[in-house]
Amino acid sequence: MLGLFGLLDLGSRSLTTHRQAVEVAGHNLSNVNNPAYARQRLSLATSLPILGDLGPEGTGVQGVAIVQLRSAALDFQLQRERSVLGSLQAQQDALRSAQSALGQLLDRIDTGAAAEGVGTSHSLADDLASLFDSFQSLSTSPASLVERQNVLMKASALAAQFQGVDQRLDHLRAALDSVVKDDTTQANSLLAQIAQLNAEIARAEIAGPGAANDLRDVRQSRIEDLAKLVKIDVVNGELGAVDVSISGTLMVAGLEVVESMETYVSATGQTLLRAAGTGAAMTLTGGRIQGTIEARDGVVAELRADVNSLASLLITEVNGLHQTGYSLTGSTGADFFVGSTAADIQVNSALRDNPALLQAASVSGAEGDNGVALALAQLARKSHAALGQRTFIQGYTDATFRFGHFLASVNTQLTDQEAVEKMLVRQREAVSGVSLDEEMTDLTRFQAAFQASARLVTVVDDLLNTVVNLKQ
Amino acid sequence: MRVTANTFPADLIRHLGSLAGQQTRLHTQASTGQRIALPEDDPGGVGRAVALQSEAGAMAQYQRNIEHQQQTAQATFSLVQALKKISDRAGEIATLADGLKSPEQLRAYGAEITQLIRQTVQIANTSRDGQFLLAGTRSSQAPFALTEDADGSVAAVVYNGNASTNEVEIAEGVTLTSQVVGGNTTGTGPRGLLIDARAGADFFNHLISLQDHLLAGEAAGVAATDRPQLSRDEENFVFQIALNGALQERLQVAESQARQRKADLQQNLSREVDADLAQTLVRLSQTQTAYQAALQTGGSILSLSLLDYLR
Repeated sequence: MLGLFGLLDLGSRSLTTHRQAVEVAGHNLSNVNNPAYARQRLSLATSLPILGDLGPEGTGVQGVAIVQLRSAALDFQLQRERSVLGSLQAQQDALRSAQSALGQLLDRIDTGAAAEGVGTSHSLADDLASLFDSFQSLSTSPASLVERQNVLMKASALAAQFQGVDQRLDHLRAALDSVVKDDTTQANSLLAQIAQLNAEIARAEIAGPGAANDLRDVRQSRIEDLAKLVKIDVVNGELGAVDVSISGTLMVAGLEVVESMETYVSATGQTLLRAAGTGAAMTLTGGRIQGTIEARDGVVAELRADVNSLASLLITEVNGLHQTGYSLTGSTGADFFVGSTAADIQVNSALRDNPALLQAASVSGAEGDNGVALALAQLARKSHAALGQRTFIQGYTDATFRFGHFLASVNTQLTDQEAVEKMLVRQREAVSGVSLDEEMTDLTRFQAAFQASARLVTVVDDLLNTVVNLKQ
Repeated sequence: MRVTANTFPADLIRHLGSLAGQQTRLHTQASTGQRIALPEDDPGGVGRAVALQSEAGAMAQYQRNIEHQQQTAQATFSLVQALKKISDRAGEIATLADGLKSPEQLRAYGAEITQLIRQTVQIANTSRDGQFLLAGTRSSQAPFALTEDADGSVAAVVYNGNASTNEVEIAEGVTLTSQVVGGNTTGTGPRGLLIDARAGADFFNHLISLQDHLLAGEAAGVAATDRPQLSRDEENFVFQIALNGALQERLQVAESQARQRKADLQQNLSREVDADLAQTLVRLSQTQTAYQAALQTGGSILSLSLLDYLR
């Protein structure tokens, strides 16, 4: 039998338990917009019964634990998918920047003189076509200074476009190197934070019963942030800690960061990653850093190489023909373009200063001859082994096709991956998310229970008063 | 599925974002009239469009080349016509200068021939854009140079041009020349207009010979030598007029082919790149309706909560 004081104790325990339940609901409510937060519940259980005259007798309720509603399987899946997402997002960012660097934009409503009613593509293809057209015009009036000036202007515009594209792609490469470095710094910082949180969780969980829910939330959020940067493997260790490895290298073991990443410049000039302690190169398989490196050394580098080989071939072919020609002054053997790559292609300044020196004639002493001008114009349709038996413009469109195709495929993969990630987030939200309606209902429920418990205490107080006043 | 406080706003934001993205894409398509613009939109389509654009550009350039050739051909035609007239008058004089004419009359004819030679040189040295039409590829200097005798008659006319012409592309891989050279004594290559070994034409020397015979009063020499020589020149002019006609005809055909090809290319490009405006606008309107509905329902659901009913 509990007796009146036992009953008072029961009422008091009930008040405490329901106050705790209201506290938990309040904690949930206040974290409603915290994306890292997983809702918590106070687990209730009956207090230990005592043996009375009528057998075991209930002693009310007590809170046994504050539990977190979280699915480890969903957390694991999300962590994996975030690495794939991070890689694809980084590739898309890099490739879109490369697309801007290329400057290829179809514009059908351009009504400029060069548009010919079909618009422009604001690209190297336009400038290449313009140069070959200007050679055609020159072939009709080989001695005309106006046509010569026109050829030199178109050639200068093409050279400037080649240089512009190459420079923009070079700046992009440098920018992507910086992204790799910054992301590596951030990843190292996250590894340190995870180790720190491991320590805090261990301390908190050793000190008392129950799990350090809020610290675990923060750690899970850091793990997912890290997974977005670099693909990681997470294994549960002792004392509630987790071990983190990257590409088979253990980075965080329990409470310690045992290894960190650093960038280095490889023999081929690429900024890559290695383990700072052992110096072993790390080959990443997912995450933003890997995506950035893959795009930088893959498609973007390929595009730049394609533009470069196009420029080099143009310089060789045009110069080869031009050198054999004769200018209006009878001079011969001069180069049309100087430089050897897209980075340094330029029109020979001697020709720019004096268009009469352009060597359009194929024979000496016949300034009106157009042999070389015609051959240069016909270069537009010549197939080149270096371009896979394609013409200059076809070579360029092939390169943009390969690039565009890759970017389009990354776009599709990213859309799919975003859908996967969104579904997982929704599923996790369904398990761990805070529902205002639920919490408000709980609040009302526990408030009523608290009020009822208080009423019990009042009743017991009245009973005690009655007992105390029996003798009066 | 359990719907939490953030499920609905997150979904709403995602839907609104996706609808706004679609609206932007459709609006861009409607306002530019283009289905694709960037390589990522449709890599193959953009590649084909760039190729079609550059091909259409090449066709436009062929049209310009053809126009230039036509202008040259027309200028040459006027020139040949003028020379033909001179040739007609010279032939007439050669016929008139028979044995019945007095030496004074023959000398008067001779003086006219001198003037005709000077006129011929002037016509044959016609230039266009600073380039001499009949000089071959040595076109920056006058092709014919005249030297006089002390008595004012023409001693000689020398051809300083060459027998080369410029080929110009008028269609893919098709080149032709509209240039006519003043003289060609090599027996190969283009026919010379005034001097040609194959046709036996040497208009200046034949006129000079006629002039000399007339000035010397040798009517017999005119009949025996000059008339047959001049008739060879005449035939050569007629040949050149026919050649010019054929050339202009060919240029006209090439021009209409280039124009047709360009129109075809424009159509192909349109099929490849242009947006179906009706379809785009219908889809835009659908997307706008969905966007409005999402905003409206989202707004009304978001504003409702259990808090409104708890006191």
